[in-house]
Amino acid sequence: MTERLDSFAQLLVPALLVVAVGVAASLASRSNEIHFLNALVAVAMVVAIYVFVGNSGVLSFGQISFVAVGAFAAGVLTVPSALKGSVLPGLFPVLRDHTIGNVTSLLLAAAVGGIFAFLVGMPLMRLSGLAAGIATFAVLEITHNLLREWTKIGPGATTLSLVPETTGPLQATVGVLVVLLVAFVYGRSRLGRMLRATREDPAAAQAAGIDVHRQRLWAFTLSGALAGFAGGLLVHMLGSITTEQVYLELTFVTLAMLVVGGVTSLWGAVVGALAVSGLDSFLGKAEQGVNVGFTLDVPTGTRLVVVGALMALVLILRPSGITGGRELRLPRRRAA
Amino acid sequence: MSAGLVAAVDAQTLVDAVGLGAVFALMAVGIGLVFGVLRLVNFAYGQLVMAGAYTLAFTSGWPVGARLLMCLGVVLVLTMALERAVFRPLRSASPAVMLVTTFAIAFLLQAIARIVDLRDGTIGEAAASVGGLRQAVTIAGVDVRKVTLVAIAVAAVSLGLLALMLARTTLGLHMRAAAADFQTARLLGVRANVVIAFAVFLSGVLAAIVAVILTIQAPLVTPGFALKETIVVLVGVVVGGIDRLWTATLGGFAIGFATGVINGALPTEHTVFLPSAVFALVVLVLIFRPGGLFAPGRTAVVERV
Amino acid sequence: MTRPLLELDGLEVRHGRVAAVRALTLAVHEGEIVGLIGPNGAGKSTTLHAIMGLLPPAAGEIRLRGEPLRGRSPEAVARAGVALVPEGRRIFGGFSVEENLRLGLAAARGNGASERLQDVYGLFPMLADFRRRQAGALSGGQQQQLAIARALMADPDLLLLDEPSLGLAPGLVDVVFEALATIRERRVTVLLVEQRAQRTVAFADRTYVLANGRLHSTLTRADSADTDKMIAAYLA
Repeated sequence: MTERLDSFAQLLVPALLVVAVGVAASLASRSNEIHFLNALVAVAMVVAIYVFVGNSGVLSFGQISFVAVGAFAAGVLTVPSALKGSVLPGLFPVLRDHTIGNVTSLLLAAAVGGIFAFLVGMPLMRLSGLAAGIATFAVLEITHNLLREWTKIGPGATTLSLVPETTGPLQATVGVLVVLLVAFVYGRSRLGRMLRATREDPAAAQAAGIDVHRQRLWAFTLSGALAGFAGGLLVHMLGSITTEQVYLELTFVTLAMLVVGGVTSLWGAVVGALAVSGLDSFLGKAEQGVNVGFTLDVPTGTRLVVVGALMALVLILRPSGITGGRELRLPRRRAA
Repeated sequence: MSAGLVAAVDAQTLVDAVGLGAVFALMAVGIGLVFGVLRLVNFAYGQLVMAGAYTLAFTSGWPVGARLLMCLGVVLVLTMALERAVFRPLRSASPAVMLVTTFAIAFLLQAIARIVDLRDGTIGEAAASVGGLRQAVTIAGVDVRKVTLVAIAVAAVSLGLLALMLARTTLGLHMRAAAADFQTARLLGVRANVVIAFAVFLSGVLAAIVAVILTIQAPLVTPGFALKETIVVLVGVVVGGIDRLWTATLGGFAIGFATGVINGALPTEHTVFLPSAVFALVVLVLIFRPGGLFAPGRTAVVERV
Repeated sequence: MTRPLLELDGLEVRHGRVAAVRALTLAVHEGEIVGLIGPNGAGKSTTLHAIMGLLPPAAGEIRLRGEPLRGRSPEAVARAGVALVPEGRRIFGGFSVEENLRLGLAAARGNGASERLQDVYGLFPMLADFRRRQAGALSGGQQQQLAIARALMADPDLLLLDEPSLGLAPGLVDVVFEALATIRERRVTVLLVEQRAQRTVAFADRTYVLANGRLHSTLTRADSADTDKMIAAYLA
């Protein structure tokens, strides 16, 4: 019975946290709203990364590629058709002549992310350790290069703007809840449990009949779809996107969020994303001067220093992260 | 295919490519040495070069000898601090954790550099050339920058000395043994801390040398200095085979040389997709040979016992 | 009665939660050859690894000439005069025979590299013939000789051997025990871990029988002819 309650709590508590942030976003002033929305989209991205990295134990530097393709797909296809021809002249006709709605763009983003992940994952999933890290890094580089130079599919090196800003508090909250639910259901499913078995002991899992390659591919594809979806949320929140925004720095920050929270748990992903986002926002304000009883004014660029230092410290001192890599447990009543 | 795509590989391009390969080979050794004894991929290696470059930039008015000494000093202090604070606590961690941690350190150092650099409001510091090496000489009809020749010579000498040290001295023997089988080496009395410190020290010296060469070639130092090169070298090292020092060095040289040739031979319009092509090749190699191109068979990187 | 060279006192070593060695107390005196036998998984290798500092003891003491060894790094233990010939030999296949031997000098106290080499080549003439060969090209028996020779290079006070006859054909096992006999003549103290119970009991001055991580019994050379005792040891 406690197990059932535990798993209920493991979904409910993060969900409630997300809703709380969403409510805060809707109540906040215009200038502060962006911080809360940022935090929510970060949760979506980090949970997407966790679905693969956390469950499989395989390091991937490439998940942001899927955020990127999702963001650009959703973005390019929602720029109002009247303007698209002049703003993005080089596009393929099929992209230039069609415009889709908000929700459709999000679903498309997820689809594009998932398909891309599946294609990339098929050859890559047999790698692990160092080779996987480098190979997925290569995927990130390829994606970045293609998006930046191929003006037939997007704006290339220029900013993609005029994207409808449809990710307000409601869309962000609902979107993140969807991601959370999918990640949760996958994690508790048989597929998720099989993958975690390969994380602990690949040889034993294989001997037990688990197809390591297939399980990793499932998770990688799902992670790609969720990441793509998060990319859609992202581009609709910012109203614009550039290739540099979904490249190395975002890879670093989202990995930092996952590590700080705790790589191997969904709870860790949520906690890490919210905690580091909060810290990041606070420091962002401090860079402009913020009042905390006295005026705190730190030089520009401090946020990355602190986030980087935090990530390094956690990895050295407490590699399992804030949550210890474990899911939530309800406090047990002591035996009488 | 248009005539423009036909490779115009002239002697000029070849010399420059060899020069680039030489620099990348030095970096590859720096990365390979530390990997050999620690099984740790130092993602932050480029930041060590960056630190050396910034030192050279900030001492632009000083006499040459003092500048070189300062550069070496700063890089070595930073390298040994990294060893103490980051590498040592992580000695028993998995390669993936070590990779992510050095990744974090790389970003951390880059962010710190950005703060330091921005104090005068602009990004980038200019480093004065060392000994007028930016000028070109004409050898056999080919225009070669002096620094390219120096790079090739320095690389050849450094690598030669290193190879000699490793093959002939007792310390070199201990280092090779530690890289091959760390635990057994310790059982025989090889001092782990000494071997590791020396490997890290050497990689720092190499980073300083690379910093000098690169600032002569590209005098503007930014926080992202050498980041691109580090990524390329890292890729070259893993593709060559990070497990052994000579395959790692060969991989570094090869990717540097190849980059130099392709960049020099193809006009710019055609090189925009070059990174994609290179990285796609990297993925292909890793799929079929996770241990590296020059490594035997399909073995993945050996974990340290 | 002089102080033992090596003393284990209530040694306990764990692999995770499981205790591989429990309450192990034994002593090895200078100049002795002591055997340590027992079935697979009895904790014999674990004991040697704990002495060398590769595994931290959960409880108990390890003393070399009365000085505690616990907590020292493997290289420090080696430099204190203990040499291990590891299971599976673990020679450096990519290095030459002579380089492998020179590596053994890392723990040596005092100078005299060339004397040590001459000495060892005298003990194992076959190695002298192969000094420039790649160690990986040697046969199993030759590699075992190399591993023992390498351990002797540091002139250790205590030599630990972890199953030196493992995987060797019977003829080669003879070679190994002959080498051990030569070592005995030089008054090097030996702790020999082996699966071949009879040979070990017949060879050693004293043999401890380990089972399930605990000391089961002690046998003397005379017991090697006593069938009942040997069977009891096998079935421990």
